Amino acid sequence: MDLVTVKGLSKRYGGIVALSEATFSACAGEVHALLGENGAGKSTFIQILSGAVQHDGGSILVDGQDYRPANPDAAQALGIAAVFQELSLIPDLSVEQNIWFRHEPRTLLRTVNRAEMRRKTLALLDKYSFPALRPDQELRRLTLAERQIVEIAKGLAKDPRILILDEATSALPAREAEWLLKLTRQLATEGRLVIFISHRMAEVRAIADRLTIFRNGSTVAAHEANAVSDNEIVTQMIGRHLDRLYPERVSTATDLIALRVSNLSSGSRLTGVDFALREGEVLGVGGLQGHGQRELFQALFGATRATGAIELWGKPTSIGNPRQALTGKDGIALVPEDRRGQGLLLTKSVRENLTLSVIRRFTENGLLSRQKEAALVKEMVDFLRIKAGTPEQLAGTLSGGNQQKVIFGKMLLTQARVLLLYDPTRGVDVGTKGEIFQLMRDLAAKGYAILFHSSDMPELVHVADRVLVMRNGRIAATLEGDRISEAGILRAAMLESEAA
Amino acid sequence: MSAEQTVGMAQRPAEKKSTRPGIDWRGRLLDRAPFLVACLMLALIIAIYGSLQSGVFSLDELNLDTAAAMTLMLAATGQTIVLVRGGIDLSIGGMISIGTVIAATRFTDDPSTVALWSLVILALGFLIGALNGLLISLLKLQPFLVTLATWSILNGVAMIILPTDGGSVPSWWVGFASAQLVGLTSPVWMLLALLVVWWWFRATRVGIAIQATGSNEKSAFLSGVSITRVNLVTYGLSGLFAAGAALFLVTQTGAGSPTIGKDYILPSVAAAVIGGVSLFGGRGHLAGTLIGAFVLTLIGNLVFVLHVSSYWQPVASGIILLLSVLASSVAEKAARNRVQ
Repeated sequence: MDLVTVKGLSKRYGGIVALSEATFSACAGEVHALLGENGAGKSTFIQILSGAVQHDGGSILVDGQDYRPANPDAAQALGIAAVFQELSLIPDLSVEQNIWFRHEPRTLLRTVNRAEMRRKTLALLDKYSFPALRPDQELRRLTLAERQIVEIAKGLAKDPRILILDEATSALPAREAEWLLKLTRQLATEGRLVIFISHRMAEVRAIADRLTIFRNGSTVAAHEANAVSDNEIVTQMIGRHLDRLYPERVSTATDLIALRVSNLSSGSRLTGVDFALREGEVLGVGGLQGHGQRELFQALFGATRATGAIELWGKPTSIGNPRQALTGKDGIALVPEDRRGQGLLLTKSVRENLTLSVIRRFTENGLLSRQKEAALVKEMVDFLRIKAGTPEQLAGTLSGGNQQKVIFGKMLLTQARVLLLYDPTRGVDVGTKGEIFQLMRDLAAKGYAILFHSSDMPELVHVADRVLVMRNGRIAATLEGDRISEAGILRAAMLESEAA
Repeated sequence: MSAEQTVGMAQRPAEKKSTRPGIDWRGRLLDRAPFLVACLMLALIIAIYGSLQSGVFSLDELNLDTAAAMTLMLAATGQTIVLVRGGIDLSIGGMISIGTVIAATRFTDDPSTVALWSLVILALGFLIGALNGLLISLLKLQPFLVTLATWSILNGVAMIILPTDGGSVPSWWVGFASAQLVGLTSPVWMLLALLVVWWWFRATRVGIAIQATGSNEKSAFLSGVSITRVNLVTYGLSGLFAAGAALFLVTQTGAGSPTIGKDYILPSVAAAVIGGVSLFGGRGHLAGTLIGAFVLTLIGNLVFVLHVSSYWQPVASGIILLLSVLASSVAEKAARNRVQ
């Protein structure tokens, strides 16, 4: 018998239909993938399952019983836990306090039993061979990837019958992502149902037993994983044939150097980096995660202190802080890693987010010109095809892909022509990914110079004109033309460690 | 010990953080920097005070200063809970005023009457606080505005009960503040009790949930915390401590005052901030707040022994507040740079 059966599920937010007539069924001991573009209704679906929101219509049966949790607590009590993409962790608590939050073992005085909590933490981390974590470390000191791992531990601590993993691999480096896939299989073997959401087809292929496809708030199909081809899946996800994910790579690089970096160093994470980015070029930055890519982008944008020389369009520049880096046509603009934290003001409108850093462009005699602002905003919304009801819609209510487009718009409005894109497709659906790659190509053709990092290696291989491979804070190799391949990047990234 | 703290580190590529387990002393020091700065300030003030006045380093002085600081300490304890939750409570000013006027008009020489009305005042404090919490949650209003409004209402009610300073409390109630046990007066014992209760409360699930909600409300909600209940308890406790502050305050003044409460609103926030409690929620401890309350109280003594105008007291308090905020922001920045 199925563990979960969902029929005719619907949910509206005001006038917007987030989910209508969704159906779903899955049994214990299986890995069930949910696929669909951002905004297709997957997030709403799992929010309902996990008790974060309540459905308006339709029914959910768990073990044959009607299931309608009032809050996440009620869902957890029934054995359903979710690992959210946008994390549910508390920055000021330690790793172990986060894992056991609200379920802490207690002493006779009703206080938290720290020794018992430590013991249970180590047992849990050990049972599922978690990557290294310090239980006593405060969460706000951890990297994004480490936090994602804590979130997974927190979900497992509830010993759930149904575990929902919402794009849990998107924040993880390759090694940890692989561990998570193994873990997912292990959980299914233990008789749990794992509902797995990922935009990486290869992962879905590797672990899913069955899959359900969402589009525009409804389910369009459910398949046995081995009975359907990638092409069929993608077609069903987007409702049309996606010609190709990656645009044709026509190099538009000129000989003009847009950004020249010499001997850039920052602490121990970045040492003596030299490279030149040309006008019209898409320059990839790859390598294993944690080898200085993040520091390179931050140093270029002026968000971390660094030494060395930077030349923009032939002029020596000292980039002291982000505000300076943003200034004018000769400036630099950044799409940051953590779009919810660093890139967007979620409680502000699309309009405000777009124009925040360029208020000067439509100020006349010290006063804001609303018409000018509206015109700029409209231009950007149209150009990027941002799907928002009105420019006044709050950024936090947009789907991930559309949020990313707003960040692109914000960046383009600065008029800077050197663009730093740090993992711009993280957590973005296939359709929007394609649009972003096409956009990058179009911008390059217009003479923009783009430095591009992605945690998904095929993206670098298919989109970049050249790829810088980083290792231990240095550029280990620069790949061009036919030498750009996943194997080539990996070889350059790992050669030294092999020799050692 | 240190080997146990890291699980499976062998599988991890060269990343310094995980291959070097053990306690992150510098990080911990930075985390506690605002608190340490407050301790340093207190030590400095005591040193100056002690060099100008004889008999500062005695039990008598401790008893006196603690009694002088206790009203503020009680008010600031409630405020600390609210600040850790990420809110603010201005209504404590009204609650303190109303507490003193009820005590001054209702207390008689009969201990059972006093006990009854004390309970009424404490219950009123908790209920009004809980009402604040409920309004904030259900109407989704700013704590600043809600508690500003209740402050105004309570203030008005206090004026209606007792329009001018006056009334009286029995002398044995006044004597409570100087009652001694093994050389320490009751305020010193209260101080110790506050610390013990805090230490216990912060380690309970409710205490952790309040801190977590202040640290990140959305995450706390997603983890299953009922935000309404957290607000109810947080503001309820704040009201309760404000009522306690009122009951203690009448031992110092011997009378009721419908306007006295406002003198504790901002100092209660200042004491907490000086002691390293973050206005953004999630971080801070009562020990810091109590030190902050001592700092603010001793400045008054210092101004007195320096024989300068008493108007220098708020000036000095303001400067100290600025210094504390500066210290915590510097430490915060240093901590953040370490992470990246």
